This record gives sequence, structure tokens and C-alpha cells, in this order.
Amino acid sequence: MAGKLDDDKFDEMLGESLRRHSEPVPADFTERMLSQIEKAEQRRILARVVWQERLSLAGCVVFGILAAVGVAVFPGRIAGVLRGIAAGFAERGGAYIDGVSKSISIEAVRSEWQLYIIFALVLGFAAYCVLDMLVGERLRTA
Amino acid sequence: MAEEIWQKRQKKRWLRLLRSGDHEAFAGFIEKYKETVFLCCRRLGLKEHEAEDVASETFMAAYRAIGRYSGRAELSTWLWTIAYRQGINYLRKNGKQGQLEAEPDEQISDSREQGPAAAMQGRETEKIVWDAVERLPRLWSMAVILYYREEKSVVDIAKIMQIKENTVKTYLFRGRDRLKQVLAAAFEKDIDDGR
Repeated sequence: MAGKLDDDKFDEMLGESLRRHSEPVPADFTERMLSQIEKAEQRRILARVVWQERLSLAGCVVFGILAAVGVAVFPGRIAGVLRGIAAGFAERGGAYIDGVSKSISIEAVRSEWQLYIIFALVLGFAAYCVLDMLVGERLRTA
Repeated sequence: MAEEIWQKRQKKRWLRLLRSGDHEAFAGFIEKYKETVFLCCRRLGLKEHEAEDVASETFMAAYRAIGRYSGRAELSTWLWTIAYRQGINYLRKNGKQGQLEAEPDEQISDSREQGPAAAMQGRETEKIVWDAVERLPRLWSMAVILYYREEKSVVDIAKIMQIKENTVKTYLFRGRDRLKQVLAAAFEKDIDDGR
């Protein structure tokens, strides 16, 4: 056997012996690994959905805040913009749109207290979004 | 020739499925390479439960990264690289990286004292060779296994182990030299014992 350990044969013997070695692996490793991957995949999908939801809620919050700030700082201009939009509908729309635009009275939008009511509703919704985002999950699971 | 082309097509198809995140293809991938990954983990000196954790992490990392696998390196080389890095990271995190850099001289004396010759009664050649490889310093044995068992080139081994090619050559030279000494002693003892 010792004679076989010359330079020519050694590498061959070493390679063959090492290739024949089989490393023990826990019996159910593949199954456990696959279920781990599946769980991770589910968590990833769930996390993505939660993020999407949070983003949309954040959008509502930002929109609400912007609207409130806009009304507080430029009440006249906001009313003008809304009036312009309504006027645009009234001018370009057909009979149906014309009717709708008439039912939303431009005069009513013009008076500021009504505008504030609308934005109070928007703010209320934004506040609900913030609460839902921060503590909603905790309240639901409590 | 036709069979070779067919095999290549099958492999391409399998790789495409793997990249697309197909579970069945990935199950085949785990089945095919789990032994390799455990081999890498244990060669880094990880204990049984540690090896299992790192092997799981390796396959999770592979699952996350398989979509970006370009196919430039062999799939096994790519996986070896991930497994090796996961193992090294684990050792670093747990302050155990010192075991990789153990003084070869100390281990030489250890291996000579214990020597596979002393424990070789009734064992087959493969077992003796494997025992001798296991007694090499970890980085040497890793290089020897990658070169002789996995048939990786020096360039690939350098990439997997993140070391210079010359260092790989040194590990291989020293590992091979040590194995020759140890195995020669073991086989001579075998003959002396009249086996």
C-alpha cells in the first residue's frame, strides 16, 4: 500500500477517495428547507401588502394635511380653483354633466364655511388613517 | 453527441425554472447540493446544529439570489461561494474565526500524535484518507477538498475562499505534502500490522 503513495498515484488515490466520501445530511432537511422557504415567501408577500397599504394610507394623510394647509393659507385661491373646475365641467359637459354641475352650486362652494366642513371631513379621515396605521393592528389583535 | 445536446438543453431548462423561483426545481437543487453545503459547513469546524443553521441560511440566501445568477460561474461554484461566506460570517459573528487560522504546526503535532495509523484498524482507504484530510488545518483541508473532490480550479477556489491564487497553491501544496506523510505512515503501519 505504501508503494502506491508515489507522486504519480497519490493525486489519483486522493481524488478517488475524497469523491467516494458521502457527507451525512439530516434525513428531512429538504422538506424542512422547503417549508422554511414557503413561510419566508408568505412573510415576504404579507410584508409587501402591508407596505402597500401603509403607503396608500400615508398618501391619504399627506393629501389631507396638504388640503388643510392649502385651505388655511390660500382659502380664496382654493375656492377659485374649485370654481374653475366646476365652471369647466359646466362649459364642456353635455346636458348630463351640465345638470350635475348645476346641482353642485358654485355659490355654495364659494362661501368658506362650507369648504371648511369638507376639509374637516378630509382631516377626520386622515386622522383615522394615522390612528389605523399606528395602533389599528394592535387594537384589532387585542 | 445528441445526448450531450439534450442534457445541455435540460440543464438550461432547469436553470430557467430555478431562476423563475419554481419550488420543484429548487427542491431538486437542494437535493443535489445539500451534501456539498453540509460538507463546507463542517469543514469550517461548525458543530452539528451550527452546520444545520448555516446550511439553511445558505439555501435561503441562494433562493433569494438565484434570480440574479448569471451562469458565468458553475452553479456549484456559486453555491460554494455562498456557503463559505455564510460559514465565515457565522464564525465571525460568534468570535470563532480563530479556529480557521489555527497554527498548522500545532495541528501537525496533534495529527502525528493521534495519527490515522493508530485508529485505522478495520477501516477502508477512503476512511483513512478522509480522517487524514479532516486533521489538516481547516483552510488547507477546504482547499484540498475543493481541488481533489469538487475538481475546482485554483482560480475558482480563490474566488470561493476569497484569497489569492498563490495562497490557494500554498494550501494545496502543504495539504498534499502533509497528507502524503500521514498516509504513508498510516499505510506502512497497516502493512506492519499484517493486514
